[in-house]
Amino acid sequence: MPYKIAVILDKSRIERIRGTPVEKEVKDLYGGYLKVIELTVPDEIAQRILKEFPRARIDARGFIEETPVAFKRELFEVIVKLKSTGPEVFGELLKPDRLGKIKETAAKEDEYLPPPNVAYCG
Amino acid sequence: MSLKIQTPPPHGGKLVDLVIRDIDKAVSMAAGAVEFDIRPTRSIIDGSPIRNVYREVMSIAYGFFSPLEGFMTRNEVESVLKERRLLSGWLFPFPIIFDITEDELRKLNVKEGDRLLLRLKGQPFAILDIEEVWRFNPKDIADRTFGTPERNPEVVRRRFDEKHPGWLIYRSMGGVALAGKVHVINEPIFKDPYNRFWYPPAKSREEIQRRGWRTVIAHQTRNVPHTGHEHLMKNAAFMGDIEPCHGILVNAIIGAKRLGDFVDEAILEGHEAISKYGYISPRRHMVTMTLWDMRYGNPLESLLHGIIRQNMGCTHHMFGRDHAAVGDYYDPYSTQILWERGIPSFGLTAPPYDLDKGLKIRPVNIKEFWYCPKCGEIAYSDTCGHADVAQRFSGSFIRGLIAEGIEPPPIIFRPEVYRVIVKWWRVYNYPFVNRRYLELKERELEVDLKPMEVSSRR
Repeated sequence: MPYKIAVILDKSRIERIRGTPVEKEVKDLYGGYLKVIELTVPDEIAQRILKEFPRARIDARGFIEETPVAFKRELFEVIVKLKSTGPEVFGELLKPDRLGKIKETAAKEDEYLPPPNVAYCG
Repeated sequence: MSLKIQTPPPHGGKLVDLVIRDIDKAVSMAAGAVEFDIRPTRSIIDGSPIRNVYREVMSIAYGFFSPLEGFMTRNEVESVLKERRLLSGWLFPFPIIFDITEDELRKLNVKEGDRLLLRLKGQPFAILDIEEVWRFNPKDIADRTFGTPERNPEVVRRRFDEKHPGWLIYRSMGGVALAGKVHVINEPIFKDPYNRFWYPPAKSREEIQRRGWRTVIAHQTRNVPHTGHEHLMKNAAFMGDIEPCHGILVNAIIGAKRLGDFVDEAILEGHEAISKYGYISPRRHMVTMTLWDMRYGNPLESLLHGIIRQNMGCTHHMFGRDHAAVGDYYDPYSTQILWERGIPSFGLTAPPYDLDKGLKIRPVNIKEFWYCPKCGEIAYSDTCGHADVAQRFSGSFIRGLIAEGIEPPPIIFRPEVYRVIVKWWRVYNYPFVNRRYLELKERELEVDLKPMEVSSRR
């Protein structure tokens, strides 16, 4: 069964896909408050992702979530590079050298993620 | 008969109170007892702390698990596994086992009739009067606790394994059980922020009465709330009797968590922010906690939740999809199946409220809320006719946003709740539970203990 994975687009990411075929695939979520690209993930690729990243899970919507931030960032970079959201994106993303780099960055993520700069209103 | 619903009696008829508040009595009870330092249950897979039995001692002694008064004997565990009943006949879903290893038993050299002094963080904490020493196969107990697809086809979808945190807790136990009644003899002092949310059943019932709430609906949580949770709370609370429920009692389960979950402090203060900033009026909302290392037992966990919240004085309990679940071991609506028609293969031949010595709390089974772009609002799944375009809430999705440093939009996450997450993110340098947090939490716990001199035996 195919699953999905979503990449969130902030302003800078939207700029980077502007004018490419990927721009047409941008979806509004929650009344347009969020912009995302959704990719279909074939079953065998989904199983591979779950195996490579043990914390990743399929949520109730059938989306692969809780992958490392580094994985999502690299996924976006591959989308930009290939100007595509097709299955070839995962072929590129899961190449050993790229995957190794993702895992190396992801290992550090488990210890530290920089907090955003917002004020506590307590 | 009046249509007005009243506060239900405690499960079993009487709240358990096994806390010794008189210091002289406490010291004399501990005299001559054999000392045992409580240590965490560690995962047999990676050694990380997954449970601390002190939380079970607290939940027993302060009456959350009434009428349970101690750790179970072999016969009581068998009764629970066979028909989810204590030997007294009252419903109870899980084996509650004080486990040690053979090596520890040899060193302790205790037997039936002995008294054990349980120490926590180096101080006397509780006593356990040993009624029985018995041995068990941890894997067998783990399998029988949660069920199997063959034995429990109504709700179990696949065989449990070490990826299920509740199964892993039982699987990682030491194999020797010390059964018997417990007493807390040195009341732990809760640290900030936990102290604000500590309402054991007797105190919770007093608070409910003080607020003038006749009907109270319980909301189970192990999460920082998104607006889907908020809509669940607000809408489920419309189910009262002649009017909506007077109060919404949020009860957070505090204990060892899975990697990637929100930290306990953010869960509590996140819920607190909901009423602090008026999304639900504080006149109608209170946040509380129970100490328990979740077993993620979906329908079985919901039964424990019903017991805890009935003991706390709630009249209703909301149950949603995937209640207290992890993964796809159970049918997503298993809890609702239990509360609608029972699960005979677990010995629950009818819903818990229709069984002798069952529960008096009323379930409010709710499906889910989603964002509907067509309706332009957050809608109830059974009411909205646009399932094809509905955008469902996902805690995992929101955690992903947060990890990427993106503030979730207000329509799915209140900004004040997000700021609570960031507050604790700065404290721990990480927004979620990681190994460092698990170890720190295990070392520090939610409580401190005052020094207490007793003449126990080492």
